[in-house]
Amino acid sequence: MSATSATTASPAQETVLECRGIERRFGGLVAVSGVDMTIDRGEIFGLVGPNGSGKTTLTNAITGFYPPNKGTIVFEGVDITGRRPHRIAALGVARTFQNLALFNGLTVLENIMLGRHIHMRPGVIRTALYWWLARPEEVANRAFCEEIIEFLQLESIRHELVDGLPIGLKKRVELARALAAEPRLLILDEPMAGMNQEEKEYMARFILDARAERGVSVLLIEHHMDVIIGICDRMLALNYGEMIGTGIPRDVIRDPRVVQAYIGDTHAH
Amino acid sequence: MFYRQSGIRHTDYVSDSKLFPIPADRNLLLLILLIALAAPFILAPFYVNSYILPWLIWTAAALGLNLVIGWAGQLHLGYAALMAVGAYTSVHAARFGIPWEGALLIGGALSAVIGSLFAFAALRVKGLYLALTTLALQFVMDWVLSHSPTITGGSHASLQAPTFRLLGQAITSDAGRYYVALGWCVLVTIFLLNLRRTGLGRALVAVREKDYAAAILGVNSFLYKIIAFATSAFIAGISGGILVVCYYFLVTPEQFTVAVSIQLLAMVIVGGLASIIGTYLGVGLILLAPGVVNRLFGALAGYFDLRFSPETFAHIPNAVYGALIIVFLIIEPMGLGKIYRNIRDYLLVWPFDQLKK
Ligand SMILES: Nc1ncnc2c1ncn2[C@@H]1O[C@H](COP(=O)(O)OP(=O)(O)OP(=O)(O)O)[C@@H](O)[C@H]1O
Ligand SMILES: [Mg+2]
Repeated sequence: MSATSATTASPAQETVLECRGIERRFGGLVAVSGVDMTIDRGEIFGLVGPNGSGKTTLTNAITGFYPPNKGTIVFEGVDITGRRPHRIAALGVARTFQNLALFNGLTVLENIMLGRHIHMRPGVIRTALYWWLARPEEVANRAFCEEIIEFLQLESIRHELVDGLPIGLKKRVELARALAAEPRLLILDEPMAGMNQEEKEYMARFILDARAERGVSVLLIEHHMDVIIGICDRMLALNYGEMIGTGIPRDVIRDPRVVQAYIGDTHAH
Repeated sequence: MFYRQSGIRHTDYVSDSKLFPIPADRNLLLLILLIALAAPFILAPFYVNSYILPWLIWTAAALGLNLVIGWAGQLHLGYAALMAVGAYTSVHAARFGIPWEGALLIGGALSAVIGSLFAFAALRVKGLYLALTTLALQFVMDWVLSHSPTITGGSHASLQAPTFRLLGQAITSDAGRYYVALGWCVLVTIFLLNLRRTGLGRALVAVREKDYAAAILGVNSFLYKIIAFATSAFIAGISGGILVVCYYFLVTPEQFTVAVSIQLLAMVIVGGLASIIGTYLGVGLILLAPGVVNRLFGALAGYFDLRFSPETFAHIPNAVYGALIIVFLIIEPMGLGKIYRNIRDYLLVWPFDQLKK
C-alpha cells in the first residue's frame, strides 16, 4: 500500500536529500562509488546490500563522518558536502548507529534529552543560575521528550541507566533520541538487527508512525527484505560500493543483478 | 530507612528535577549545612583552621578538576599551575589596590583565559598525549615562576597577601576565613549539582562517552571540552586565590608544584570520577589521612612502648597511607563515592535486602 503512493510521484514532490556521484575511498579500497540517490519528503527509502557493500559508509558520508572524496550532498537545498557532523545535525539530520551508540552512565531520559541538544542553549552561566535561566528550558524540553517516550512506550524505564538494557530496548531508546531532535531526515542503520519477529514488527510500526505523525523522511538500512518491501516507498541496492538497482522495492528485488548479489553473498536472504 | 521514599509522588517536571527530590535527603543536607555553619563555635579552633578550612578549599579546587576529568573525560596534569595563576594574579591585584572581590575574580578570569588558550592548543591531541601536554603547562608555569622575580616577589620568592576584605569588611578572624572557604565550596558544589540536570552536564558526559554519537546530536565536542577546561580553570584560579588569602597568607611557588597537581589528581581518582560526595571524601582522605595515620601511629608506638629510629618513624605512616589508597581502589575502583553509594543503597533497603533490584 505504501509502495503505490510512490509510483504516482506527484510533481509537487519536494526533495529532502540529494546525493550525486558519491565516492569514498579508504586507502586503496573503494567503499562507495558513483552513487546517486534522492529522497523525497515523507518518504521511507530503503538501502540494502550484502555485508561490506558500503551502506554504512554512504550514511557516514551524508552525516559528515567520512566526507566523500567525490560528489555532492545536498540537504534541503543546502550543500552539506564535507561539513562537520555537528553542523549537519543542527540542520535537521539525525541518525542511529549500527552498533548502538547510547551514552552509558546516563539514564534513558537523559539520553533522550541529549537529542534535544540542538534546540537548547546549554551553557555555564545557565547551569550556575539554573533556577532562573535553565529550568524553563529544561522543563519545556522534558515535556517534549515525554511525548517521544510515550510514543515509543518507554515510560517504565525512563529513569533507568541505559547500560544494562536489553538490545531491543536500547535500539528503541536510540530511535527516541534521534526523534527527539525533530529531524527532517532520519537515517536508521539496521535498527532491527538482533531483534525477534515481534520486536521487528514493533520497530516497523514505530517508523511508519514517526513518518505519519512527525512528517520525517527516513533512510532505512535493513537486511530483512520483508521489512523493506513492507514499509519502503523506494529503495537502492548496493554491491561492492556500486548501485545495482534503484526504484520501487518489488521491481528492484526482481532485478537479476540484485538477485545475483544476494544469492551470491548471503544465502539466507 | 526505605520508607523515606514512600508516599512521594512527583506530579510535575520541576519537582521531579529537584536536586534532592526526597525530603529526607533534603533535611539531612540542611542539618549538615547547619553543623557546618556552627563549626567555628562548637569545634576547637585548631581543628577548624588546620583541618576543615583547607579541606573545604581543596575540595572546591578538586571539584573543578573533576569537572574536566570526571565529566568531560580529559586527563589534566597541570591543574596546580592554574591555581598558581589565580593565586598570584589575585594577590598582585589586591596589592595594587583592587578590592579582594575583584582581585579574586580577576585571578579566576585570567586563569580561565590561560586554561582555555592552552586547551585550544592541547585538545588537538587525545588521551595520554593530552595528559603530557597538560603536564607541559605545569612545567612552563614552574619555569616562569622560578625565573620572574617580579611575579614571585623578589629574592625571597614569597609574596604577602594584603589584609583580606570583602564588601568593605576586614576578614581577620578564623571564623570569617572559615565562612569564606565554606561559601566558596558550597557555590562550587551547587554548580556541579546543577550540572547533573542541565544540557551542559549531559553534553559533557556525551563527549566523554562517545564523541561521534555526541556529534550527530549536534554537540560540538571541541567546544564543550574548551568550556570544561575554561570553567575548571576559573574554579582553580579562585580556589588558588582563596587558599592563599585564607590559609597560607603568603604565596610561594612551592605551593603549586607538579606534586600538588598529582595530589589533586589522586584526590579526584580516589574520590571517584564525576562524584561530588566522592570528591569530598577523596580530598579528606588524601589531605587528612597522613596526619591522622601519623598521630595514630605515634600513639600506638607510645602505648606499646615500641622504639623506632626517627627515619622509620617518618616513613611507616607514609607507607600505611599509600597502602590505604591502594586498598580503597581495589575494593572499589570507582572510588570512595561509589563505596559510599553502595553502603547507602544497602542501608536504604535494610533489612529487606530482597527489595533491591
Ligand atoms: N573507517 C574505515 N576504514 C577502512 N575501511 C573501511 C572503513 N569503514 C568501512 N570500511 C570498508 O568499507 C567497506 C564498506 O563498509 P560498510 O561498513 O560501509 O559496509 P556495510 O554495507 O555497512 O556492511 P554491513 O552490512 O556489514 O554493515 C568495507 O569493505 C569496509 O571494510
Ligand atoms: Mg553497516
